[in-house]
Amino acid sequence: MSAVVRLIVLTLVLATVAAEAEGQERRNRGPRRPRRDAASQPATASAAASSEESASTSGASSSAEAEVKKDKYLAVINGVVHTMTGPVLSGATVLSRNGRIIDIGADVALPPETQIIDAAGKRVYPGLVVASPSGSIFGGDPPEDTTDVFGLNMTIALAGGITTALSGNAAVKLTFGTTEEMVLSREVYLPLNYSTRQPQPRAELRVDLEKVRGYLREVRRHEIVVQTDKEAKPPDASWLKGKYEKYQKLLKRELIAVGSASTTHELLDWCELAREFNFRLVLRGAYEGWTVAPELSRAGVGVVISPRTTVAVDERLNRPNGATIENAKILHDHGVTVAVVPESVVVTTWGVGGRDLLNLNLEAGFAVRGGLSNDDAVRTLTIDAARVMGLDDRIGSLEVGKDADFIVCDGDVLHYMTQVHYAVVNGRVAYEKAKESLYAHIRPAGKRELAPTDDYWPKRHAWPADWKPRVRPATASAPTTQSAPGSQADSQPADGETVAPAGRDDEAPAAAREPT
Amino acid sequence: MRGLRAAALLLSPLCLLAASPRAALAGEAAGVAYRVGKVITMDKSDAVINGAVVLVAGGKIEAVGPAASVRIPENYRVVEFPDRWLVPGLVDCHNHIAGSLGDLNDSVYLTNPGLNSRQTVEPNNDNVKNARGGGVTSALLIPGSGTNMSGFGTICKMGGDSLSEVIVRSPGSLKIAQAGNPEWYWVGVGRSFMNWNTRQTLEKARDYNERWEQFDKGETKEKPEFNPIWDQFRGLFRREFPVSVHSQGYQLLMTTIDMLAKKLKLWVVLDHSEFDGWKTAALVKDSDVFTVQGPRSYHFERTCRKMIGNAAGWYYNGVTELGINTDSPVVPQEELTLQAALGCWYGWLPYPALRGVTIVPARALGIDQRVGSIEAGKDADFGIWTGDPIDPRSACLLTVVNGKVVYDVNKKPRPF
Repeated sequence: MSAVVRLIVLTLVLATVAAEAEGQERRNRGPRRPRRDAASQPATASAAASSEESASTSGASSSAEAEVKKDKYLAVINGVVHTMTGPVLSGATVLSRNGRIIDIGADVALPPETQIIDAAGKRVYPGLVVASPSGSIFGGDPPEDTTDVFGLNMTIALAGGITTALSGNAAVKLTFGTTEEMVLSREVYLPLNYSTRQPQPRAELRVDLEKVRGYLREVRRHEIVVQTDKEAKPPDASWLKGKYEKYQKLLKRELIAVGSASTTHELLDWCELAREFNFRLVLRGAYEGWTVAPELSRAGVGVVISPRTTVAVDERLNRPNGATIENAKILHDHGVTVAVVPESVVVTTWGVGGRDLLNLNLEAGFAVRGGLSNDDAVRTLTIDAARVMGLDDRIGSLEVGKDADFIVCDGDVLHYMTQVHYAVVNGRVAYEKAKESLYAHIRPAGKRELAPTDDYWPKRHAWPADWKPRVRPATASAPTTQSAPGSQADSQPADGETVAPAGRDDEAPAAAREPT
Repeated sequence: MRGLRAAALLLSPLCLLAASPRAALAGEAAGVAYRVGKVITMDKSDAVINGAVVLVAGGKIEAVGPAASVRIPENYRVVEFPDRWLVPGLVDCHNHIAGSLGDLNDSVYLTNPGLNSRQTVEPNNDNVKNARGGGVTSALLIPGSGTNMSGFGTICKMGGDSLSEVIVRSPGSLKIAQAGNPEWYWVGVGRSFMNWNTRQTLEKARDYNERWEQFDKGETKEKPEFNPIWDQFRGLFRREFPVSVHSQGYQLLMTTIDMLAKKLKLWVVLDHSEFDGWKTAALVKDSDVFTVQGPRSYHFERTCRKMIGNAAGWYYNGVTELGINTDSPVVPQEELTLQAALGCWYGWLPYPALRGVTIVPARALGIDQRVGSIEAGKDADFGIWTGDPIDPRSACLLTVVNGKVVYDVNKKPRPF
């Protein structure tokens, strides 16, 4: 390395250290309003210092790298921030750098070139997490090679507030438009079969677990023996491959097992196994969970349930049975971690809504109907869903250090008229309601009391730019669309649409897709 | 004047006494007084009464009004829900679960004019019990849409143990599916044949009715031959009950309005009204046709990549009296209000949505003199809710049909 380059590097390092100190000092000073854009801040030393600060903390030690890889900042300001694990912060700023949250609070200085989402009058929540596999958002395995990241279903799921979902056994983010940092975990669960209806795999599982547990005991014994007998041989580990390797991880509590269990005896059966072998367990279904909530809690089981599963009481049984809307509440009250999913974990466009991923929020609404508090119900879709999947170190809440996955809603996320205006995944805007034709026409200003705009229904599409009105007789009929009162107040410029003159509906040219 | 004032002074403590809460008196109470936080009456003035009292006696609503103005008689039992809403019992125009489900579609012929769902009514079945948990108190049980004409429907209450107790009107409607699902019939039939088939069947029935009308009026001495099949249709042409039309999509709705409403002059209720059906709103709003929408809550318009709320599509194009149906068991009957909520999610408004599951379907079926609103003289059908019934987070705590409690949230396990 030449002396000149060394000198440059040294200068830069010194400058960044100084800048960092200055940045720290700035932060320690009194409250400061977030700067809206680079233009509004003093364009001298502090701007330069700020950019230096970002370069230094990103871990780039060489000047060349610092110049090539620019830090990407995104902040959501002025919203009511529901952190899930902490307080609800009114008007707080959430700042992210390169996909991670680096600051939350009222006094957050925004670096220049920060992309800003103004959430005034709106609420900010962590992105919703789906704890059951969904086949319709992503492709197969591996997800980044098989998923259409521009797909319609991904956009629809984002519009439903979802930022992470399971694809097979992988936790995958809805990184619209990119595969970068898409896969969060390739192996979320270890699926186990312990069904009483299949005695063979059931017996095999027990035998295997006992074998691995015996091995782990031998390992611990060896650790003691080897202190006095240096020649003691460790137990044979040559067979510890494939499923045994996974069972070993399971018994070391490094993996989470998943099983299906709905009825009381199935649930108890699993609880017994989980307590006997001391492993982490997630159960799907669990509609009779309310009958054995203390046992589930003691076994540390997490559940993935649909609160409104309907199963009638079987009067022939001499025990409490059947499904109840209070399931989520009872389980939560006993300390069981509850994740809520709809009964049909898919994205569809066929129109019968209300029980799939298009309205995941409404599903948690049914948990509230059963007595769960509104806040806890939101947690079943965010932090508790992440806990069930063992990914709560990365997603599910808004905390410094966590992934910048959040949604901006025009109301309580569980309300039946709340729409998602922004979905941010890895600090990148993956969905923006106003710029995506799917839902842009529904309450564009987010005000519930106002009627939709005139372009609510898709009578007209984008007209060719060179289109001119033909000369028509004076008796042209009136337009058929009636605009409801109040529509003017809520209107905003239609995206790329020109309003056609009256009476031209029948002769509209072939539909052109609207620009997005 | 002074005497009157003195009388008022004397009476006022008595009024206070009468209004005070009390336990059930010894012996049978003559009626029940529901003292609630709010009543959504759904009457003509759209009145909402806060701090109201609803008196119920003999299965009917006796009086509704603010607690200060309704005098509770001595021998009435008082039920207190001081912070709950009392909402009219919900009405569903399109239901298949009030009877035995397995024989929904007797697809023997392409038109089956002799069939009647009355024979399949099954009070207190599991699905009906679930419906009560959602605050649903009346539903039109109709045969499936597997054939062009699948028989007569029956309007049933969701409470009661016998047919006479349950049935509100029989026939409730005639079920017609002009196209769509009947296209699955045998090897498949096309729309032009099916519409001819439906029309000529109805024309036979109309001719029968006209011959009898002439005879009844004495215009002819020749007594027509009695036909048990066509005789059921006479009420249809007298507009005593409607046709429930399985309608899906723009083209089919136009045919329905043209053929059934304008040419045959029938009382038409458009059920489902799905896909891009709302494009016929301009035709419907100028006719006497009723529209009931569901369970498809939205339509994905591929041509312009938009999710169009069906309910909002109808509503904002002029059909402001819009009902909502579940097509239960396609969507569970107890989730009728969820269908309304989805309509709102896609752009509709909450109050019209609540009308759409109460008074609007009651009017569409012509049973609004009995159900659909909380007014004196109507059936005591209502639900006590924790809040806005459209919100899935609100629960129905108590469902009352004909003055009798048919669902109580305190009975465990609570299904809904």
